[in-house]
Amino acid sequence: MIARALRQAALLVVLAFLPAIGEAVYFRGKVPWQSRLTSGQTVDVDLARSWGENAMWVDARPDNEFAADHIPNAILLNEDRWNDLLPQFLAHWSPEKKIVVYCSAASCNLAEEVARRLRDEAKLPNDIRVLQGGWEEWQKKNK
Amino acid sequence: MKIAWRIVDLIVGGLFIYAGVLKVIDPIQFARDIDNYKILPWSIGVRLAFFLPWLEIFCGLALILRRLYLGGLSILSILMGVFLAASLIAKARGLDISCGCFGRVSKNFSFAWHLTLDFAIFAAIIALWFAQKNERGTRH
Repeated sequence: MIARALRQAALLVVLAFLPAIGEAVYFRGKVPWQSRLTSGQTVDVDLARSWGENAMWVDARPDNEFAADHIPNAILLNEDRWNDLLPQFLAHWSPEKKIVVYCSAASCNLAEEVARRLRDEAKLPNDIRVLQGGWEEWQKKNK
Repeated sequence: MKIAWRIVDLIVGGLFIYAGVLKVIDPIQFARDIDNYKILPWSIGVRLAFFLPWLEIFCGLALILRRLYLGGLSILSILMGVFLAASLIAKARGLDISCGCFGRVSKNFSFAWHLTLDFAIFAAIIALWFAQKNERGTRH
């Protein structure tokens, strides 16, 4: 029974490979194969700070973390209250400014998701970046 | 009793086909979901994101059609075991993850819901193993 199960499993693996390869070929130009975000989608703290007034900071963390502390002049825009917070964000928005989105640390994905939604759903034409290392990195650089 | 196990086959197989198709449609989102577990490097996760959904679909079909049945059951047992372990490890590490098992449909599931659903599917797969064993036992 075990040998039969293994033989069948191997066959299923081979069968699944075929359409998977076809799909990967189809998507080859659209997939970031080496890293989740390309260098053009992120920015480090120093460069983002050098943009000064030309940057608009967006805090993608939950409300309570934003209330505790945040980057000066950052605007709260998180996924939990996207519909409530988006109008408030758009009131401050300017098409010329770069948008820097951050969440708590390098391991969080909230900023990436908010950046994606601003690009794909809100259709903003701005240069939208995710802050490398997030709030944690900002605090380290500001000690 | 045999009919009852066929129904379980259809439900489990159907669930994996559904889950697989949702991920085939959006492999990049599934790659992000894998990456959120912080277990594998992105370059491996993104390749798995193209392969695993098809494997789920074929295993689901194996259960429904009862062709390559034992192979399908074996792979689904391993997939569910690995997935449950990864979920528990991610939770223990404090990662706020969405499993992405059922695409955007499952984005709003709480962790408890994810776990309950996954354990239920895992239990059904194990039960199918026993049913298969008994069936073979009565045949011989």
